[in-house]
Amino acid sequence: MDLGFDRRAALDGIKTIWPLMVPGIPVGLVVGLVIAERGVPAFLGYSTSWIIFAGSSQLAAVELIGDSASALVIILTVFFINARHIIYSAALRERFSVYPLWIRVLAPYLLTDQQFAVSETAPELVDPTPRYRLWHFLGAGVFMWSVWQLAVIAGLLVGDVVRDEWQLIFSVPILFLGLMILSIKNRAGVASAFVGGTLALLGRDLPSGSGLLIAIIAGMAVGAIIDQRTNNHGSEATS
Amino acid sequence: MNWIAVIIAGLATYLSRASFIALGDRISLPPVVESALRYVGPAAFAAISIPIVLGGDAFADFGNDIPRIIAASLACFVVWKSRNLPLSLLTGMGTLWLVIWVL
Repeated sequence: MDLGFDRRAALDGIKTIWPLMVPGIPVGLVVGLVIAERGVPAFLGYSTSWIIFAGSSQLAAVELIGDSASALVIILTVFFINARHIIYSAALRERFSVYPLWIRVLAPYLLTDQQFAVSETAPELVDPTPRYRLWHFLGAGVFMWSVWQLAVIAGLLVGDVVRDEWQLIFSVPILFLGLMILSIKNRAGVASAFVGGTLALLGRDLPSGSGLLIAIIAGMAVGAIIDQRTNNHGSEATS
Repeated sequence: MNWIAVIIAGLATYLSRASFIALGDRISLPPVVESALRYVGPAAFAAISIPIVLGGDAFADFGNDIPRIIAASLACFVVWKSRNLPLSLLTGMGTLWLVIWVL
């Protein structure tokens, strides 16, 4: 199987992920800012960006380090906030099963919410060759990773550059609402979005992002139930 | 100690990401699970976005505000009709700034 570098695929990956990545910039700036404000050692705080590489869990880790929380609390909090990636991994398993083991071990390091969203919503990934899909994934992932590192470093160095009155962070829910709409392909999708959104709202105060996790799983379950009942298997479009 | 915590937390995050992808076709999931996995996108993206629109999160405290609900609804409408994410982002943020400026 030829998996050699595919420049067009990598560029398409970058082109597809950039609108998803832009709202991440103010988020990265906030993470950097909080590292500086909470007096967390700069290199340790920044290093969450390449060791953990997941915004909301990094923010939690930095806050906990600032509060002198125990290692166990830090580890469990980050794990729970990021446990949804297990579900993303399961959803991508089949598409990745064609690749050799070393790719399946290394590539998932880049699997963020945005990266998963690209694989779920990009029209060019509906039926690509394995080579195209791989380089699309790597192009998008490496680009996203690099911008994230720079955003956190900028937040650390420049401090309060995010003007609160602009509410730039609001671009994050706008983005994910858009991705929600793009990923809905039938009635079961509408139901899973409704259940996921409602339960996440009700469970927002549960500890360590467990509300988010429960909401995602419940949304998926409802989607699967309706899917089996209507037996449409994603082919019937309602939009 | 904090370094060790961050490194183990990072490993846990990486292992979550790698888990099923690394296993590949060495395992097979029951059909009902495979069918549920087709709905991760709608469920997860709704669960991530809706609580933030209606009140904020760790990154920003928005309060339960009408301007943001208007902005988010318009952005949804735009992406539904156009399938264009940058356009919906511009619509959402532009509407938010406009509504705040007008009020």
